Parts: sequence; C-alpha cells; structure tokens
Amino acid sequence: MPPLAARFIRTAVVLLLIAFAAGAWTLAAKGTAAAMPAGLRGAHAELALVGWALQLALGVAYWILPKHAAGPPRGHDAPVAASWVLLNAGLAVAVLGAAAGREPLVAGGRLLELAAVALFASHALPRIKACGR
Amino acid sequence: MTRWLLRAGMAWLLAGLAGGVLVAGHDALGLPTAVGAAGPAVFHLLTVGWLTQLIFGVAHWMFPRAGADRPRGREALMWAALLLVNAGLLLRLAAEPLAALGHATGPALAASGLLQFAAAACFTANTWPRVRGR
Repeated sequence: MPPLAARFIRTAVVLLLIAFAAGAWTLAAKGTAAAMPAGLRGAHAELALVGWALQLALGVAYWILPKHAAGPPRGHDAPVAASWVLLNAGLAVAVLGAAAGREPLVAGGRLLELAAVALFASHALPRIKACGR
Repeated sequence: MTRWLLRAGMAWLLAGLAGGVLVAGHDALGLPTAVGAAGPAVFHLLTVGWLTQLIFGVAHWMFPRAGADRPRGREALMWAALLLVNAGLLLRLAAEPLAALGHATGPALAASGLLQFAAAACFTANTWPRVRGR
C-alpha cells in the first residue's frame, strides 16, 4: 500500500472512532434528560461521512485505481497530499463551527473539503480507464 | 468473515430503503406515529448497517496481510465487530422511535451507542496493523 494511501486510511480509521464516540454520546443524551452539547450531532455527521467514509474511499481509490502506463504509476503525489491536508483542515473547521454554532465556519470548512475533493478528482479522473492504457 | 459482513450490509441496505419508504409514507399509509419517528434510526441502518459494514468487509478482505500466520489478523476481533454493530443497530431500531415519543429508553440507547463504538474499536484494533505504507 503506498504511504499516501496509508495516511488517508489511518486518518479515516482514527476519525471512525471519534465519530462513533460522538454518536454514542448523542444517543445517550437522546435517551436521558442530559443536555446534548451544542453542535454534537452536526460534528458527528461531518466526522462520520467526510472524515471516515469519504476519506477512506479516497485513500483506497488512490491505492487501487489503474496505474498509468508511462510516468509515475499513480501520477503526481502533490495534489493528493494537498487534498489530504485540505480535507482534514476543512473537517476541523467545519466540526469547530458546528460545535460553536457558527454556520459561516461550517461553510468555510466545507469549502476546504470541496477544494480537497476537486484536487483529488484532478488526480483520479485520468486513472479511470481500462488497465494497461 | 467478509461474506458475513457483506451479507449483513446488504440486508441492512434493503431494510433501510424499505424503512425509508415507510417513514416517508407513514401518514399516507396510516401507520403508527412511532414509524414516523424512526427516521434517524432508519438513516443509520443505511450509513452504519450498510455502508460501514460494507467497508469493514471489503477492508478485511483486501488490506495488506498482517503476517504469514494470521494474514487477516485476529478473526475473533472481526466476529466481535460483526456481532456488536448489528446488536447495536437492532437495539437502536427498537429504542430510538420510542424515545422520540417520550418513552424511557435511555439505557437502551446508551447501550446501542456503546455497542456500535465497541464494534468500531474491534475493527480498528484488527485493521490498524494492516494499514502500512510501503
């Protein structure tokens, strides 16, 4: 597994644990009279869908998509490495925004996530082809 | 192991989609209010029951081998993950609609959350050593 893929996948697995912990807290608060911390549900959703599921998919895609016949087998790593930084920075901003109840921060975080996915797509689209081409 | 996770995932996919129909149409179909309150639980049948279990199963199958003697790590951890996540989801499906209607289901919901977290922890413990860059 290339190191960059391992970085995506390990980050995703850590965020899986954090997302499920937040989810367990949300469920426990639902069933009791305990007050749910503001933004916990939104943070849980962001961590689970973007931090865990999307990030794992990106890491596995980088790993297993068909390799190029010429040049670096998986293309240039810089856009993919940058997408990892932007995705997790965006996630952090969106989660903090959700916790603080600041919608503009959530929007800003999601813009970073969008930039991350756009960068990754620029890397991945040329690799969506028949193997060997 | 992978086949069990994928089969369970497919079952939850069908249940989640069917549940979505019932939740959306509970008024028109004259179903009990509890069905309409099951929206969040049904959503998690899809995201946890189907999507996350699918990921667990394929990762267990495809990720680099942990070693010659235990290529996929400790199967007991993955069996535990399978049992815990599905038990947690069943408990959630039973308790969450009732909680939305004001019934006292606190311990059941808390247990559901803990079961699902424990499942994630078992998956992590088995998978982490298999995620290594080369």
